[in-house]
Amino acid sequence: MMNLTKKIITWARIKSPWILHFNTGACNACDIEIIAALTPRYDLERFGVLLKGSPRHADVLVCSGPVTKQIEERLCRIYEQMPEPKFVVAVGACACSGGVNKGCYNVAEGIDKVIPVSAYIPGCPASPKAIIDGVVKLLASLEEKEAKK
Amino acid sequence: MLGELFYIFIFPGFIFLIIFSLTAEFIDRKIYARLQNRVGPPWFQPWADFIKLLAKEDIVPAESNPKMFKVAPIFALAAAISAFLYIPLWKTDALFSFNGDLIVVLYLLTLPTLAFFIGGWYSTSLYSRIGSVRCMTQLFAYEVPLFMGILSSALLADSWSLKGIAVFYMAHPWFWLFNLAGFSVSLISLLGKLEKVPFDIPEAETEVVAGAFTEYSGRMLAFLRMTLDIELVTGSALLALVFFPFALNVHPALGFVIFMIKILFIVSLIALLRTVVARLRIDQMIDFCWKFLVPLAATQLLLNLMLKGMFLR
Repeated sequence: MMNLTKKIITWARIKSPWILHFNTGACNACDIEIIAALTPRYDLERFGVLLKGSPRHADVLVCSGPVTKQIEERLCRIYEQMPEPKFVVAVGACACSGGVNKGCYNVAEGIDKVIPVSAYIPGCPASPKAIIDGVVKLLASLEEKEAKK
Repeated sequence: MLGELFYIFIFPGFIFLIIFSLTAEFIDRKIYARLQNRVGPPWFQPWADFIKLLAKEDIVPAESNPKMFKVAPIFALAAAISAFLYIPLWKTDALFSFNGDLIVVLYLLTLPTLAFFIGGWYSTSLYSRIGSVRCMTQLFAYEVPLFMGILSSALLADSWSLKGIAVFYMAHPWFWLFNLAGFSVSLISLLGKLEKVPFDIPEAETEVVAGAFTEYSGRMLAFLRMTLDIELVTGSALLALVFFPFALNVHPALGFVIFMIKILFIVSLIALLRTVVARLRIDQMIDFCWKFLVPLAATQLLLNLMLKGMFLR
């Protein structure tokens, strides 16, 4: 019985990832691509993805940009405001490793230096197709993790 | 006793209502998506959303008043569910019927808005407070035309119980055609009650994040979303009964199917309306309600009084 409940909950989590989009100091290119992925052309609602305004409603935090010193604290706060279970996706080269901003005095060089990241989507900027692929792979990995338990 | 419990908890009460309202949400979202040239969500999407939210962490903000914050969603859900029990579904008689139950249903449908206000106000976040104040401001604009529209139909039937209205329109077929102006007024007001575009000002996500729901997460958010779904179904059922009162005295099973089709027709009208229009500002919304909807509803009242004098003496 417990097993079945767990299975249903995992299924629901995979089928309904609500995302929160947060710019952690990107040049806006990745943000435009994230918005493009949410338009009717790519129609992410097919996979149950909805863009939410409040971190309290979101399951997946989609970040773009190397974390600047100013935004570091705010990123932590937004991450802590999200209810468990939560996942973070780093979109773009900057968010993965710092990208062109690597070595700058004012950046943390990657989301994973500040908060744990579940999926990295490289690209400068990452294309909408790559973003959708990344999110789908993140969800597939959840299923595998649950199967191994 | 056992029969009544069955009615309240299984059919057509709690469990049936949950299944039906989630189906209605799916139909609403699917039509919305198809009209935007999208594929849209799969049929199980509302179920996945609901189960996921039930299994998520509940966060109660440190600044909030925890008691009021937790009670408001349950209160809203209970009010919306109990309103459904008074609506006749497959015959002219409802499960629980008394003189004046039309007013009780309208009142029970107002309670969720008040609960949203209380929940938003006591979560003590600025966005929630702005959203909940907008909720109340909007309430004063759409509530009057909604009541006038529905009560004008009741006036023609000379009865304030839903059973009486159904019996009257069964005895006088085609009289419902005179109420179409009242129907359009009530449908537009219902959009305000359900906080759907163009009246989604309280939860305008580009301005106030998620309005009164901003601080809610997990189970309480699931209850709030469920409340809105059930309000959608109950409001549509009320309009279907009051404004399309035909085929209520056929075989119960057939009557039930026809009533469900009527409800889904109104749900799809709501989906169509929210696709073709954009969000108004709060002052524009109040202007629209008081300058256009209320005079139209008043005209409907006048028309019904005249009809009553001419034909029903």
